[in-house]
Amino acid sequence: MSDDKLLVVKDLTTTFATAGGDLAAVAGVSFDLERNETLGIVGESGSGKTVLSRTIMGLQPRVNTTVTGSSIIDGFEVVGASENEKRTIWGTEVAMVFQDPMTSLNPVMRIGKQIDEALRVRLGMNRKDAKARAIELLELVGIPSPVQRYNAYPGQLSGGMRQRVVIAIALACSPKLLMADEPTTGLDVTIQAQILNLLDELKERLEMSVILVTHDLGVVATRTSRIVVMYAGRIVETGTTRDVFYHHRMPYTRALLESSPKVSNKSHTRLITIPGRPPNLLNLSDGCSFAPRCKYATDQCHLVRPELQPSVEPGHSFACWNPLPVNAEATLP
Amino acid sequence: MSDVRTPLLSVNDLEVTFYVHGHAVSAVAGVSFEIMEGETLGLVGESGCGKSTTGKALMRIVEPSKGTVLLEGVDITKESGKSLRSARTRMQMIFQDPISSLNPRRRVKDIVAEPLDCWKTVTGLERDTLISDLLSKVGIDPSVYGNRYARQFSGGQCQRISIARSLAMRPKLLICDEMVSALDVSVQAQILNLLEDLKAEYGLTLLFIAHDLAVVKNVSDRVAVMYLGKICEIGPADTLYESPAHPYTEFLLGAALEADPDSPMHAQTLEGEPPSPMNPPSGCRFRTRCPNATQKCADVEPLPQEVAPNHMVSCHYPLTIHHQSTTRTPLEG
Repeated sequence: MSDDKLLVVKDLTTTFATAGGDLAAVAGVSFDLERNETLGIVGESGSGKTVLSRTIMGLQPRVNTTVTGSSIIDGFEVVGASENEKRTIWGTEVAMVFQDPMTSLNPVMRIGKQIDEALRVRLGMNRKDAKARAIELLELVGIPSPVQRYNAYPGQLSGGMRQRVVIAIALACSPKLLMADEPTTGLDVTIQAQILNLLDELKERLEMSVILVTHDLGVVATRTSRIVVMYAGRIVETGTTRDVFYHHRMPYTRALLESSPKVSNKSHTRLITIPGRPPNLLNLSDGCSFAPRCKYATDQCHLVRPELQPSVEPGHSFACWNPLPVNAEATLP
Repeated sequence: MSDVRTPLLSVNDLEVTFYVHGHAVSAVAGVSFEIMEGETLGLVGESGCGKSTTGKALMRIVEPSKGTVLLEGVDITKESGKSLRSARTRMQMIFQDPISSLNPRRRVKDIVAEPLDCWKTVTGLERDTLISDLLSKVGIDPSVYGNRYARQFSGGQCQRISIARSLAMRPKLLICDEMVSALDVSVQAQILNLLEDLKAEYGLTLLFIAHDLAVVKNVSDRVAVMYLGKICEIGPADTLYESPAHPYTEFLLGAALEADPDSPMHAQTLEGEPPSPMNPPSGCRFRTRCPNATQKCADVEPLPQEVAPNHMVSCHYPLTIHHQSTTRTPLEG
């Protein structure tokens, strides 16, 4: 059964050695991903979602970083692999779309050349074939007049167009898993909708799996089949998108949903807030990391960390000692 | 909401022109609106539409090239020197990036006291009491944090300090330029609630500039939508969101992502990107992307017309206003 999974992450921990001590940005994360599935990783800044996505593909910093556990992409164990070994899967098995299209492209290199690079280095194509393929890719990601744009510099393109180029580069070697780390943050809503539609469409067409890392619950609501909610480096709830939105058991998930403003709210709707702010990862308590901000917290929550436990729906689990009742849906605001 | 319906601010035909390599770019191309006393006007639009420039031009941080800005009957654009400085105490601005808008090497209480020290309105003990009072109002304990440096605070706390500073001179009008867009959802909700509380307490009038439609809806009484330097639609928040009259507003709302898996997916997304303000289209500025555009739209610039009470739209072919709710009504608790 597990051979069928594209990605199996088990007990993955990323620890940074900082001046203040060891900091576990990702602490014991386990989940898996089917082929042709879109998974959302949601969390606030500092929850470890970006570090997790980078560790999964082995892109964590080389110094002062310890990774334990396992991350198997299509049978390849990333944790412990050397740079040279990891290079065999980067691009062809897994590729990443980074958040900031301004800084993830080389500003003094024509965009066509930046796409060619992957094709020539990784697939050993010759100059002519690579150019033809690069133009195809530009067309695939919806860039108008790709032949002319092939020679453009990133500075000549808008933010949305640049993000399309970044996606084209990521797709160059037809990866099976596309990681998108905040792919639309910083883009306007109409452009964001275009890029998300493009990712959806490409996923179907190229039969990829996509991991969408974002802080925006609106982005994952209609674009993913499953969601992982992270808090302070750990998964606090995971399940199908509908279960997480409508049958969540973990108070943090509820609080996150309640504090996001909605377009359907009446004007001057008072938002329900979470008191305090995310904990300092350097001195976490032994208990639940969310306990200091949680209105249901008891002594047990402050002392003993809850592990993920299954909820009623299949594949839905949460880490909480005092979970919300099963039919939490009825009390949603 | 205030009972007195007199405009506190009235902006008439405001234009801001920048010169880029000798080319005139009208970032704001004739914007007119009024803000009643005690009202919150939301200003939304995509990046580059001129919403921030409008906010800055009201304060004369950038110089308007044409038009008038009347604050309580006084034309700000005609003032200079001391009278301009004194007019500015009646309106204050809160900026997007809370961390860079505070000097990291100054103490919190000095930052908040700076406007008072400039004007020497209060001194000595009275000044200290006022600062302590302001800081506690925004949720920063003055006895614990007053002597700390701005660099020691998180983004949300810095935004609280910015708010305290902006309130020091007891302004009438607050211009909030993307004040929550750099914050996490849970912190964003805290700041939005704080703003609503302070608005009621200090009797403030707000111009709330943001790109996030949900955030704007949650705080505004009326909303103005900008596209390429012009206001295309302005109206009461609830009716404008429920039944937009301008095709651009409809697309913008359709692209907004709701944190709800059951929210309707809008099949139609706006294609392309806004044209360059250096070379805006003739007639209606949205016509190049508008599905309903005709020759008339290219030839004649649409003037604002009233489609419903207080609901103005600049379009030759406004969408029909319907008043039954099309948006999903949230479940009642």
